[in-house]
Amino acid sequence: MYKLLLVGIIFSFSFGSTAQNLDSTWFVNNYSKKEIYISMRDGVNLFTSVYTPKDNLEKHPFLITRTPYSCAPYGEDKFVQLWNSYKMAYAKENYIFVTQDVRGRYMSEGMFEDVRPFNKNKKGKETDEASDTYDAVDWLVKNIPGNNGNVGVFGTSYPGFYSTEAALSGHPAVKAVSPQAPVTDWFIGDDFHHKGVFFAMDGFSFYPTFGKPHPVPTKNYGNGFTTPIKDNYQFYLQAGAVKNLARMIGDSIKFWHQMYEHPNYDSWWQARNARVGLYNVKPAMLWVGGLFDAEDCYGAWNSYKATEKQSPQTNNKIVMGPWFHGQWSREGSFLGNVRFESNTSDYFQKNIEVPFFQYYLKGKGSVAEIAEANIFFTGENQWKKFGSWPPQNIEEKNIYVINNNQLSFSKNSSAPKVGGMQDASKDFYEYISDPSHPVPYTEDVHNNRTREYMTDDQRFAGRRPDVLSFQMEELKEDMTLAGPIIAHLATSISTTDADFVVKLIDVFPDDFSYPQNTMSNGKDYPMGGYQMLVRGEIMRGKFRTSFEKPEPFVPGKITHVSFELPDVAHTFKKGHRLMIQIQSTWFPLADRNPQKFLDIYKANDSDFQNATIRIYHTATDETKFILPVIKK
Amino acid sequence: MKTLFFIAALICVLNVPAQPNSNFVKENFTKTETLIKMRDGIKLYTVIYSPKDEKEKYPILLERTPYSAGPYGDTNYARRLGPNPTLMNEKYIFVYQDVRGRYMSEGINLEVTPYLPNKKSKNDIDESSDTYDAVDWLIKNVQNNNGRVGLYGISYPGFYATASLPGAHPAIKAVSPQAPVTDEFIGDDANHNGAFFLLDNFDFMNYFGKPRTGPVKDYGSEIFTENSKDVYAFFLKLGPLSNTQLPKYFNHKSYIWDEYLQHDTYDAYWKARNIRTNLTNITVPTLVVGGWFDAEDLFGALNTYSAIEKQSPQNNNKLVMGPWTHGAWESAEWKQYASHYFGSNTSKYFQDTLEARFFNFYLKNKGSFDAAEATVFETGTNQWKSYNTWPPLTVKQTDYFFNAMQGLSTQKNNEAGFDEYVSDPAKPVPYTNGVFSRRNNDYMAEDQRFAAIRPDVLVYETGELTEDITLAGKITADLQVSITGSDADFVVKLIDVLPESEPNFKNAPRGFEMAGYQRLVRAEVMRGKFRNSYEKPEAFEPNKISNVKFNLNDVAHTFKKGHKIMVQVQSSWFPLVDRNPQKFMRIPEAKESDFQKESIRLYHSSKIVLPVLK
Repeated sequence: MYKLLLVGIIFSFSFGSTAQNLDSTWFVNNYSKKEIYISMRDGVNLFTSVYTPKDNLEKHPFLITRTPYSCAPYGEDKFVQLWNSYKMAYAKENYIFVTQDVRGRYMSEGMFEDVRPFNKNKKGKETDEASDTYDAVDWLVKNIPGNNGNVGVFGTSYPGFYSTEAALSGHPAVKAVSPQAPVTDWFIGDDFHHKGVFFAMDGFSFYPTFGKPHPVPTKNYGNGFTTPIKDNYQFYLQAGAVKNLARMIGDSIKFWHQMYEHPNYDSWWQARNARVGLYNVKPAMLWVGGLFDAEDCYGAWNSYKATEKQSPQTNNKIVMGPWFHGQWSREGSFLGNVRFESNTSDYFQKNIEVPFFQYYLKGKGSVAEIAEANIFFTGENQWKKFGSWPPQNIEEKNIYVINNNQLSFSKNSSAPKVGGMQDASKDFYEYISDPSHPVPYTEDVHNNRTREYMTDDQRFAGRRPDVLSFQMEELKEDMTLAGPIIAHLATSISTTDADFVVKLIDVFPDDFSYPQNTMSNGKDYPMGGYQMLVRGEIMRGKFRTSFEKPEPFVPGKITHVSFELPDVAHTFKKGHRLMIQIQSTWFPLADRNPQKFLDIYKANDSDFQNATIRIYHTATDETKFILPVIKK
Repeated sequence: MKTLFFIAALICVLNVPAQPNSNFVKENFTKTETLIKMRDGIKLYTVIYSPKDEKEKYPILLERTPYSAGPYGDTNYARRLGPNPTLMNEKYIFVYQDVRGRYMSEGINLEVTPYLPNKKSKNDIDESSDTYDAVDWLIKNVQNNNGRVGLYGISYPGFYATASLPGAHPAIKAVSPQAPVTDEFIGDDANHNGAFFLLDNFDFMNYFGKPRTGPVKDYGSEIFTENSKDVYAFFLKLGPLSNTQLPKYFNHKSYIWDEYLQHDTYDAYWKARNIRTNLTNITVPTLVVGGWFDAEDLFGALNTYSAIEKQSPQNNNKLVMGPWTHGAWESAEWKQYASHYFGSNTSKYFQDTLEARFFNFYLKNKGSFDAAEATVFETGTNQWKSYNTWPPLTVKQTDYFFNAMQGLSTQKNNEAGFDEYVSDPAKPVPYTNGVFSRRNNDYMAEDQRFAAIRPDVLVYETGELTEDITLAGKITADLQVSITGSDADFVVKLIDVLPESEPNFKNAPRGFEMAGYQRLVRAEVMRGKFRNSYEKPEAFEPNKISNVKFNLNDVAHTFKKGHKIMVQVQSSWFPLVDRNPQKFMRIPEAKESDFQKESIRLYHSSKIVLPVLK
């Protein structure tokens, strides 16, 4: 969520060519900036920056971003550094750029509410983010000279959520909306929680600043919380139970404490699921997300899907590339050690986003090349276009855990033992999950959560005794996955609760190397035998039958735990192997389960205990993964 | 050992700019090649570089090597001569000799040739007699020599330098064994305390263990090709040690490899290869050199020095220990290693102030040699220290007990308590963090946080130190353990935990944090079955408390105020060390099915004894 902001700043320093200097002069000379307050229906004024082109040969459309992260720089003489961005393409087309501080944030008045629930039946002066967008748009089209009456809205991350809400405003001028990595459901899959598991580190690095009170409009919220231990694994381990984080963050950070009061997917969280408003969506929609977005990958896939289902008449499209959070506006040739062999971001900007707004806001060009689903497939490193997502020609194939740490399409097959690898003559695999030694989510020591972990080499994890690794034979032909993966675990645990992390991994051949002259992160990393994380997801066991009503496990009793991993778009190439790893911690990305059935937000340090976890592979209790394989 | 080979090649390149030109050797020395006949008639290939300047007589500096005396041929000159550039410029007669059975020499090579104390005939030869015969021939036949000979050598050549000492030719006036291969079962290269150093051995013997049918200038390709990018995965997949003899690997092509697998206890084979027992009545001045971060022969340097000291107390015997990896003292510059920054050029200091003065004084009567008994670089404070003895007499052996709640303290408490972990040979603890195609040379000072976060590694640490604590000397691990199997390895690691205020080192990778860094100071492994005797291994009685006591190599290190002292204990160190099947048996004969998980308890009566300098 906030990482994007930091990334943006770093990137603006890393540019600096003469062309950009020319662009900066051009932008300042050809645009004028106004700062205004726009009054909402209830009298609350929202701070708004408007950059208007000096060109008056024709009328121009609006591109609006509504944000909780500030429309800085403030001051009519201070221009946002658009020249460091591909968005300069819109400036050259004389778009009117509008940025608005959302209600209750920065220089806007009113009360802020995180992921403010959509109010379907607003009456009188009742407001929500949709009505605030309506009121802002209405004022803009009526008051900004030289506009053509067409409005586009876009934004990434939290502004992606406000884009989703803008699509629900019902204002007829809003013609095209592109929510990008939209915050969508903070309990099931975005940011703060995945499947009910608290992503405490991301939350705690974001919220101590973001969550500060806003008694009056301000340009600066001040500093956040500096952790006394720089190694984040150690900091969160020593912090202990998450209730201790609540103590550290203090009483003034209201939403943090509200989350603790809602440990389950209750009506409070359900109202904060942005998908509930996605009915009868009028504007053309272009959902954008990153396959390796550590924050809002879920939101991009699932907002698109909800719109398809709930608003089938909507002109609804999706783009998913091989990106970290917001990478589509930056260099897009690699992420971590994994290379994409072309600048995928540049492709997206030039061939998808810009044509989308040009067509719907200016009537220029064509959107014929923008398919229903425009998806980049890692592994083969190709863009593919589909008429639906997931594609029609999918065959669901099961892969089963069998003996000797192998996976097979046939549950009855048997594998020979390989060297010194773990043996399993029994019909289960077993490990001890020790909350005082949680499995790290990434290698090495870090102060901040890395964004590269989503494609990281998983060899560091497979070496641990508390991580199970299963792999298939070398593939004899390419296998392309397109869609979500269902993990179906037959497990028994020695206690009353546990988490389950399932990681889908592409094992590269031992002699693998990328072609020369493909752009990389510049590190000389050994790619032979690389275990690329394709998708990982965590499930809090107690939510296995319902996110609303958690249930304890019966110790020692075989129990089936099924859950969905967010969609993947990846080709396992011939000669590669498919690997699955299973573990019960993913630290400090995910908070630790005390492995005792209770309200984890109220757990004490003394509640944390070891659990022995078994994963079965018997005739009646099979562990399998359902893969969405594209038919040949 | 092999690593040295590469380092040496690298150093040659690095040193070139220091020379007036790359033809320096050719312009200033005359090269001759000769075969010197030993007493048994075997001829050893010898290369002699004599100074062209014949205004004075010169002493001979001899290196005997199994790594080739080349380049071969009258017109091919070495790019540098002698142990360091200062000595090359000083003008010596530099002599290189292929040892018996290697490269261009005749005869049969033996692994660490045993010394024969009672030679009865001309056929009783060893490295001592070969050195004697070579020296005798050289002083009688090389023009313009002054009748004095010095020997030096690093690693395996260090062994050959040591081997010149018993029964030394009277012309030998100074010897500097450097990182000398000394005892390959107890502490050097092949084994540490009976635990097999799989990674190094496998890599080295693939090159060094290749047989020849007669003298060769080049051994050609290695015995087999193995290019794994991930040695952890490779060796795990390889399985038991016996699989190294598969047709695609050694396949009994290396007699040394066969011997290694055959001799899995400290038997007559290994004892005959412990040169220390023969270092009695030595009368040649010695300068023993070693590196604190030498992954190969740290033990050899420390224990060659101490054996001479003990068994030849009258000898002029000195020790130099610097912050070096294997042979790093030979490099033009050595200011940093892993995350250490030493603040000065430690290798140049050694070469000019110690090594050059040592040979100049004893071989040329030039200058003085007033080095202290022990010149050691103290890590932590990054200073050279001089002592009259090593270890210093002012050291107090101090017990640090493993307490409950991961405590490490001079106070003993809760003796009955224990900590427990499961050691699973299918998931051995890595010796280093990351994916490597060869041994990570930085592992000896590496951040141990990657290990501390594993469930099969026990961690004990003191509070923040209120004053500096300096260690000087040997460390003893004294463990009380019980295991559910019948054998186990024990790895004990002494670690310096840096404070949160520690700034990042220069060029640290993005996001890297030096704060809280767990810097390895010293580590050692003990194969449990040898706890009472290296000759006669003993099974553990399952679940019965046993004492496992062993030494870790010496350190000279200051834990600074505000730091913490940490100890980690684990039962694998892979693939540096082969996996113990955790079943009492001849490990080279273990089958895949012999490898078993076991639970290991470490009782709080366990301790580490640290040599604290007062």
